[in-house]
Amino acid sequence: MTTFKENKGISDRSGSDRQRHRDKIDKAIREGIHDIVADESIIGQDGKKKIKIPVKGIKEYRFVYGENENKKTVGSAPGKNIAKGQKIGQKDRKMPEAPGKAGDQKGEEHYEVEITLDELAAYLFDELKLPNMEKKKFKNISSKSFKRHGYRNHGIRPRLDKKETIKKKIKRRKKAIKNETHDPESDERFGFHHDDLKYRHIKEKKKLTSNAAIFFIMDVSGSMTKEKKFLARSFFFLLYHFIRSKYENVEHAFIAHDTVAKEVSEDDFFGKTSTGGTLVSSGLGKCLDIIDSRYHPEAWNVYVFQCSDGDNWPEDNDFALKYANRLINLSQFFGYCEIEPRNSRDKRWLQLSVLSEIFSSLTRDNFKIAEIRNKDDIWLAFQRFFGGFHE
Amino acid sequence: MSDWNIKDLEEWDEKIIELAKSKNLDWFPISYEICDYYAMIGNMAYHGMPLHYRHWSYGKSFERTHQMYNIGAEGLPYELIINSDPSIAYLMRENPFYLQLLIMCHCIGHSDFFKNNLTFSDTSPENIIQRFKNAKKRIDGYIEDPSIGVEKVERILDAAHALSMHIPPNCKPYIPHKKRRKDLISKIKSGHEDYIGRDPDSYPIEPEIDLLAFIGEMALNLEDWERDLIEIVRQESFYFMPQIRTKIMNEGWACFWHYRLMHELELPQKYHIPFIKSHNQVVRPHLGRINPYHLGFYLFRKIEERHGLEECFIAREVCHDESFIRQYLTAEDCYDLNLFSYSLYKKDYIINEISDSEGWKEIKNSLIKQVGSNSSPKIIVSKLKSNNVLRIHHEHDGRDLELSYAEKVIDYISTLWGGVVRLDTIIEDEPFEI
Repeated sequence: MTTFKENKGISDRSGSDRQRHRDKIDKAIREGIHDIVADESIIGQDGKKKIKIPVKGIKEYRFVYGENENKKTVGSAPGKNIAKGQKIGQKDRKMPEAPGKAGDQKGEEHYEVEITLDELAAYLFDELKLPNMEKKKFKNISSKSFKRHGYRNHGIRPRLDKKETIKKKIKRRKKAIKNETHDPESDERFGFHHDDLKYRHIKEKKKLTSNAAIFFIMDVSGSMTKEKKFLARSFFFLLYHFIRSKYENVEHAFIAHDTVAKEVSEDDFFGKTSTGGTLVSSGLGKCLDIIDSRYHPEAWNVYVFQCSDGDNWPEDNDFALKYANRLINLSQFFGYCEIEPRNSRDKRWLQLSVLSEIFSSLTRDNFKIAEIRNKDDIWLAFQRFFGGFHE
Repeated sequence: MSDWNIKDLEEWDEKIIELAKSKNLDWFPISYEICDYYAMIGNMAYHGMPLHYRHWSYGKSFERTHQMYNIGAEGLPYELIINSDPSIAYLMRENPFYLQLLIMCHCIGHSDFFKNNLTFSDTSPENIIQRFKNAKKRIDGYIEDPSIGVEKVERILDAAHALSMHIPPNCKPYIPHKKRRKDLISKIKSGHEDYIGRDPDSYPIEPEIDLLAFIGEMALNLEDWERDLIEIVRQESFYFMPQIRTKIMNEGWACFWHYRLMHELELPQKYHIPFIKSHNQVVRPHLGRINPYHLGFYLFRKIEERHGLEECFIAREVCHDESFIRQYLTAEDCYDLNLFSYSLYKKDYIINEISDSEGWKEIKNSLIKQVGSNSSPKIIVSKLKSNNVLRIHHEHDGRDLELSYAEKVIDYISTLWGGVVRLDTIIEDEPFEI
């Protein structure tokens, strides 16, 4: 007996499995953030630029045959002339693959997805489980601006709108012709009337602008190895795009220092290494200078991020602390991140670094210290800065 | 607005049944469920099973199909029917009337195949729904158990899924090692000359192809619930294996019959051309691939032409794809279908054989290697060492393994095994060990 059953339910049976799958992708992206950004320059890209995200671990691995000379695939070629030795395609140009049951072919996985930076920011930060996002770290600053707002019959000469004025005159002329008060055939000139004049009206508008100035300060002395800079770069990438996603207008400055500080380009920031010693105060001082000259805290939300391996010349410590204090006063947030790969079991890792020790006296809400030892820590450090995450 | 209602379907179903019976088709009763495309994709993700355990891979499968559907890259399959008694089949509400009729005819073909093909004889379709339901219940229980939870369950399921193709293709029951050892000891004692020099303490006694069963029995540190998960995955594989092994025949047989039944149904004229169009769409050859609907339909037609309809019924009973192709695909067919084989040389796909008087045999052999379970590499347990190292062996048939994948699978096996796992294979003609 055949039966027919109408299923009108709107049950979504795969809902929980889809969620589980998405969680896995989220996790993979966060874990892979280091790999994602390794090749990307931080700044100078608008949000539309696409980057590749390698999402690992979502594939379902099986034993499959590799693609090489020995694996022959049979297909049909209806109505085609074919010959031995003929080239019919190229790898990665997507050869048609037999749609088998999942797993019997090394299937095309779509999880090396290309997404734009904007999407990445949304992915990472919007759905981010940052539990107690501290709102006060973000503030909008109001500013006045003027905006056009319709037309008026009176106004000053410079705001005369010629187009609207002529339109008014044409209308008046048409009416005159209709009412037979003006004869278009005649040579009589139809001049402008005072009432034709139209002026643009300008209204004052209070606008909430959101400006952010981001400072990246990094020690580029000899002790900052390539590896440390690599970690710093990934971390800065996250921070930059996070701030960028919160503000309309974002500017930035890279400050590299050894014993003296310089504002440099991104390439130089990560590329160049000096051999000198370390005076942390130089970098902080330079930052204060730039804030003073370009980014007044009344108009800008200032964010300062400093990466270092924790070394400083002892005689500089007092200055460093003083400048840090000043920066904390001026900025929305100041984050100090210590990068020190710990692969050795050196005893000195048991104690605080010079900088951590002096900075630990700074117990302010908008100041945080984080630590990155390997790439898995990047996300944790980020959460520590912005997640209201306390150990 | 659709151009049909359930009453129409019931009315025509009677005609279809009467006609199909007169053709000696013999199928399970069919329960049709009418659903929208969204529910259809959901059902597809779970292989049509009304109840199926949870796993993220089904969510992934859904997303993929849904995405494909939305960008129009892939039409949804016209039918979805499962091997159960009664057979459960799904009709998409959006389909026009003629297409529903075509699908109903097609489903009778499938159900007849499930019921009569010998490959399916041990699938117990009468209680499969219940078995899936029980498995789901148990897995739900493990997921909700505070001492287990979803992460641990997934850890085992992920690993077991990776091995789901590694069961005996003929679904031969597993004989526990302990029993085999006892049998061997008694045979050695009996002094039979075949057993002289055999060591009852070797593991496994015979090379074992049923990886999941062997691990389930012999892994030292698995918990009961973990063994249960492995067995659930294994049982599901046993159930689906016959479908993997008869994809071409099964679709061919269903197409063969929907084509014939639809022709003889005396359809109103307006349905005729759309039906032919849909049919041609389904059985069209795919360039550079094998469309199972196309090859299966073609071969059953040829068999009827060459040996009569009776032979078609015999093939549907005793063959699976491999034996079907071996027995019935001729040089003329290869030429007709313009079959060719190609492989990857460095970065280019190059044709290595075409169906001329020399090449067709080679092509037939290559085709056989890619159908059914032959498309998966054959992996056997070769040795279990006293230090708990599990050695598995790839039976190399000319095709090398994809190493990047193999490594991951070895990790999965280690997860289940709870110890070191080593794989022997051949890569570029040299022995290779992972």
